[in-house]
Amino acid sequence: MMFKKIPRTLINLRLIIRIVGWLLIIEAGFLVFPTVTCLIYGESDWLPFGATSAGTLIVGLLLAWQSHPVSMYAGKRDGYLLTSLVWVVFSLFGLIPFLFCTHPLSFTDAFFEAMSGFTTTGASVIESVNDMSHGMHMWRAMTQWIGGMGIILFTLALLPMLNYSGGLQLFNAEMTGLTHDKIQPRINQTAKTLWLMYTGLTVLLIGLLCLGPMSFFDSICHAFGTISTGGYSSHSDGMTLWHDSVYIKCVMIVFMFLGGVNFGLLYKLLHGKVKALLRNDVFKTFVGIIFVMLGIFALVITLRGQAFNWESVTLDPLFHIVSTITSTGYSVANFELWGPITLVLTFVMMAFGGCAGSTAGGMKIDRIILLFKTGHNELYRCLYPRSITSVKISGSIISSEIISKVFAFLCIFILLIIGGGLTLTACGVPLVDSFFSTFSCLSNTGLGAGITGSEGSYSELPGLAKWVLSFLMLVGRLEIFTVLVVLTPSFWNR
Amino acid sequence: MRIVIAGAGEVGSHLAKLLSAEEQDILLIDDNTDRLAVLDANYNLMTFPGNPTSFSTLRDASVGNADLFIAVTPYEASNIVACSIAKTLGAKKTVARIDSYDFMDPRNSDVVNSMGIDRVIYPEYLAAQEIITALKRTWARYWFELHDGNLILAGIKLRQGAPLAGMMLRDLAYSNHELHVSAIKRNHETIIPRGDDRIEAGDILYITTTRERIPDLITLTGKQEHKIKRVLIMGASKMAIRLVRSAGNEFKFKIVDNDAEVCRQLPFKCPDCEIIYGDGRDPELLADIGISEMDAFVALTDSSETNIFTCLTAKDMGIKKTVADVENIQFISQAENLNIGTVVNKKLLASSSIFQLLLDADSSTSKCLALADAEVAELEAREGSKITKAPVKDLSLPKELTLAGLFRDGEGLLINGNTHIRPGDRVLVFCLAGALHKVEKLFS
Repeated sequence: MMFKKIPRTLINLRLIIRIVGWLLIIEAGFLVFPTVTCLIYGESDWLPFGATSAGTLIVGLLLAWQSHPVSMYAGKRDGYLLTSLVWVVFSLFGLIPFLFCTHPLSFTDAFFEAMSGFTTTGASVIESVNDMSHGMHMWRAMTQWIGGMGIILFTLALLPMLNYSGGLQLFNAEMTGLTHDKIQPRINQTAKTLWLMYTGLTVLLIGLLCLGPMSFFDSICHAFGTISTGGYSSHSDGMTLWHDSVYIKCVMIVFMFLGGVNFGLLYKLLHGKVKALLRNDVFKTFVGIIFVMLGIFALVITLRGQAFNWESVTLDPLFHIVSTITSTGYSVANFELWGPITLVLTFVMMAFGGCAGSTAGGMKIDRIILLFKTGHNELYRCLYPRSITSVKISGSIISSEIISKVFAFLCIFILLIIGGGLTLTACGVPLVDSFFSTFSCLSNTGLGAGITGSEGSYSELPGLAKWVLSFLMLVGRLEIFTVLVVLTPSFWNR
Repeated sequence: MRIVIAGAGEVGSHLAKLLSAEEQDILLIDDNTDRLAVLDANYNLMTFPGNPTSFSTLRDASVGNADLFIAVTPYEASNIVACSIAKTLGAKKTVARIDSYDFMDPRNSDVVNSMGIDRVIYPEYLAAQEIITALKRTWARYWFELHDGNLILAGIKLRQGAPLAGMMLRDLAYSNHELHVSAIKRNHETIIPRGDDRIEAGDILYITTTRERIPDLITLTGKQEHKIKRVLIMGASKMAIRLVRSAGNEFKFKIVDNDAEVCRQLPFKCPDCEIIYGDGRDPELLADIGISEMDAFVALTDSSETNIFTCLTAKDMGIKKTVADVENIQFISQAENLNIGTVVNKKLLASSSIFQLLLDADSSTSKCLALADAEVAELEAREGSKITKAPVKDLSLPKELTLAGLFRDGEGLLINGNTHIRPGDRVLVFCLAGALHKVEKLFS
């Protein structure tokens, strides 16, 4: 153990193949749920689901048993490659039911739909969701639920084989945030605790939604979409169907909000450490932004004469704000009617995202705080060039390495937005809509505006645009570096 | 087991990595966040930034739930304070690393216990003991004695022409020598041998035997015993001073150090030995101080490289036994393959004391020895444990470990396939690193 044998190959391909095999076996297990759902509702879609599940299981078993790793060593490269690969492979197998169901999608659309689900973006290319079978709804909801906490993290919780430092590289590559905060000494305990909390919240939410005017099946689908901050709905009209239920809206707001909070923090809260919550700058800023936004939205809506009742100035904008900032992407009202100011603010909130270490997407509040504080420090240093400044978040000082990494993150984020937006524009999508969808997919929100908005859907985009957006969703979900590092030449050369 | 380690220095990080590989829950506390970040990102353990002697840090780290609290910061006083706080907060067992013999002295044990310290680790003392053993048994590299020497595990490097060289292990077993080859270290790798493995010259053999068979062992490995009297020590480190003070009158020491101030202070610390101010790496100086008259050369400077190379030089100059302090664990294997007698390492010694605690929390007689990539432990077979269920050959033991010998009714015995271990036997187990928790399961 002390003389770790340094592997001669750059990448431990056999180990990666074996772990991908294990993961496919798990996916096959997940695919059983929609199959059963179809059987319960007597739908013909059970066949594509059953067949996909069986096929995935066979491929998984073959990969897991036929690949004999020379060593169990997993380095940084293996972690990054495997994590990026797994999300693509999961989508590739997860899209098969979409191809053969009663309302089949094209391959491009199916990949977009699956990737959008796993990355919890929730942007859909299906125009009439109502026509889909229950099994299909179940599978769309489940993809989000699995992707919300993370595929790798689930595996870490399940497979004891990964409970060593090799598994840690996978954890680091998938977990989002500035630093990778563990909440338990061992990696599988951390993964288990996180998944347990996640499952607990989901069950609680299903129960609460059931109590309201929502059917049990819809409750499950929406609970999966809410806690994972995904945003798929089992109805064409989405959440607008429950526009009149204050109860449903309130419950959803609370749980979308919880999905946007750092799970480590929630864990501390569960252990009665309320002080940790009050001491956490990120959490406070998160709440602060939501309330400031609510104020502005209420004002704008009132000024535009859209204030029909108390709900339309409080609950509806709050729902929209929480849904956007946590990158869920449910909407109860057509926000485009609220005018350009709210559209711009929606852009801003999509970029911000939730707290790091949550299921939310976007740039994460932690990074935003850091950017603003560093910016402020630099301005201060214009006046006092010799002053030594530091960036403090929640009482601890952030090292300059992390700050420069955050700035690199910001630069790449902006470049991706510009690149994606321009590509979409070149494909013939209107300029604002291109940038809105790029933002929406990179931050895993899944809202649409203009041609992708309430009047249309993502299905109207050209094929190339869908592939570009699928790629951006993946990049955004794994917080940029994990995917992009695999694409750099130095990753493949020593 | 939930283990909290305070201090992520050399010993602390080593322990954390090792215990994490042994599937223990590790929380590592240090105030240097950079140091923690590296460990946190690469090892399966949790880190906690903060001062190990502050109440709030220890409370936030939930030290109260810890089964074991190990304080291994570089400062003795900090370790004692940290242990004291941890014990008060509810830690089950505390271990402090110390720097002076005072805390080990049996006369002071009540006071030490009342401060909340259950066990102390004094790596320099352990190293000194190890060196003294090596000087007494010049022909062995490692010497591990159990129950007053009734059972012995010796690490011996096999030279060309030794009777054992080229022999199949199976043949050795038939030849009725009372020897058990527990492990072979060959080309930087330790293996647990099987019957069809061949012993080669250049191997380091870990052989278990009983006291009566030691002369046989010496003959079979082609060794000779040398009596050591005059010892030259290079580097007046803490370990060197401890060695001189522990050894008593058995040896005559000369210490060479190239720091004038250290040399001037030295007579106060070890009054009976000769002190020379100069650079031990200089062969002329070595010749001047009469290295040809010396029986042994012990290199204990802070630099592992210096220690290794000067030992090689000393060997060339005709010294029979050399001992080097090699603190870089990666170098140990290299150093063992070179012509250096015994290699000591404070970190491994410290971790062996911790393993002892892990394996047998109640018994103070059990022993443990940590090698660079393997561990040797002595455990008691409990009533109803898996190990007592069948003869050894039918137990299908993991291949990372071997049962070398046992101690029953005041007598040391070797173990072969037909041995049936009984409850109450104390068994000597040799296992590769990372497999100690498997051993524990077999015995409990």
